[in-house]
Amino acid sequence: MRVTPASRLSIWLDQHWRSAYSSYLEMRRRPLATMMTLLVIGITLALPASLLSLLKISQSVTGEQQQSASISLFLKNGIVNEKALRVAADLERRPQIDHVELLTSADAMDEFRSHSGFGDALDALDDNPLPNVLLIHLLPDNSSMDIKKLASELKQETVTDSIEYDQGWIERMQAITQAIRRAVQALGFGLGLAVMLIIGNTIRLEIMNRREEIEVTRLVGGSDDFIRRPFLYIGLIYGLLGALIAWLLVSILLMLVSGPLGRLAELYDSTISLSAFSWQALLLLIPIGISFGLAGAWLAVSRHLSSINPE
Amino acid sequence: MIHFENVSKRFPGGHYGVSNITLQIESGALAFITGHSGAGKSTLLRLIALLERPTRGQLLIDGRNIGRLQKNEIAAHRRKIGLIFQDHRLLSDRSVFDNVALPLHVRGFPVREVGKRVRASLDKVGLLKKEKVLPITLSGGEQQRVGIARAIVSRPPILLADEPTGNLDPELSREIMKLFIAFNQLGITTLIASHDLELIKKLDRPVINLQQGELT
Repeated sequence: MRVTPASRLSIWLDQHWRSAYSSYLEMRRRPLATMMTLLVIGITLALPASLLSLLKISQSVTGEQQQSASISLFLKNGIVNEKALRVAADLERRPQIDHVELLTSADAMDEFRSHSGFGDALDALDDNPLPNVLLIHLLPDNSSMDIKKLASELKQETVTDSIEYDQGWIERMQAITQAIRRAVQALGFGLGLAVMLIIGNTIRLEIMNRREEIEVTRLVGGSDDFIRRPFLYIGLIYGLLGALIAWLLVSILLMLVSGPLGRLAELYDSTISLSAFSWQALLLLIPIGISFGLAGAWLAVSRHLSSINPE
Repeated sequence: MIHFENVSKRFPGGHYGVSNITLQIESGALAFITGHSGAGKSTLLRLIALLERPTRGQLLIDGRNIGRLQKNEIAAHRRKIGLIFQDHRLLSDRSVFDNVALPLHVRGFPVREVGKRVRASLDKVGLLKKEKVLPITLSGGEQQRVGIARAIVSRPPILLADEPTGNLDPELSREIMKLFIAFNQLGITTLIASHDLELIKKLDRPVINLQQGELT
């Protein structure tokens, strides 16, 4: 038998294909047990995955709010329009600020008149009580710390009467999200470990069931690699199919919550793009599932295979 | 080819499997190993297949001291050897074909080659028509022939048989022995442990006799 590199590759592929296929057949021989194991793995993976996607949604909402963040700077009385414009131009040079809009007291009065319904009452006033206001639009990449610092600096300006910005709820939301993210990450780590142990234990049982086969394979000169391979494939297949199940479960969950969440988003003037059945999520879940599956299989194989030697 | 030099195998607990064996088996030879049960026939074969390691002495096969082989070299060593057991050691959940094909799969033979060789091997032991059945449906003699087909399918240079006719009637035993002689004529070094002295006498081949682990 002449062995060229090409035929060596085809032999290698052939051996791997045979191992993978025999593992698949082995799993199909006990469909109920296999299905249950797969469901356990799927649910275990789906739990952190669904929490993470919900977190991602809440983050996209707060992120949007952050982007539209702005500060209203109320100028002291007596600061006339030309001076206000100069102040605005000065402010625009600051790195945190995108652009500054001047809302003159006259503009404000007009707006107030048309929106409030107090038009007649306002006519009774001698002069305009509203101050000139600078609407400071911030750049989107400011952290809440940056905004806070900027706000306190603006407060010190001599022209400033007072400032106003509604940053509080965003900060609180971010803090909560941050805390939940940490918890989900820890939970995900723990559940990943659980998946590994579930697969490891399944494969331990598989090894025990196939003890005779392993012994005979050793007798006819099967290498450790050869004996190990089908068990690693079982781990890989469990991880892969478990990830697929997890993806389906997460997608179904996202579909279920998309209605109520959409209405909630409307209330905040925001849109939520729920990504049920998203390819990105699948592409993330599959390698995670496969690595946990392989790790669990490796754990079981390295612990139990060497103890099986032919009599 | 197989060279024992003062080889002893002492089991944990102090019992000796074989003791101080010096023996040379030439390439292409056929020899019988005889002795009472417990005399060390199996241990001798198990040492060659590295199912046991010698506790003393040197066991050279093709000039290599196999007592010194690393764990990860054992598989490659066993691929030089076809093993046959009294209890066949066939896999009950695999067809006759798959049982015989196993040694070829561990060696990474391509599929077409596997089919050809398995059928040639089954043909030699007269079981070509039984390739699809499970071993359990075969008689004892047929199962033993499947075991032999599995041992020769990869054309190993050494064939070791441990009581291959232990459970068979004299007629079948003779047929099995004829098979071994036929394989030996193809150049395979063959060692057969057996206590069927009558049959061995008729075959007129070298005999290694063991008594309490020692050569006599």
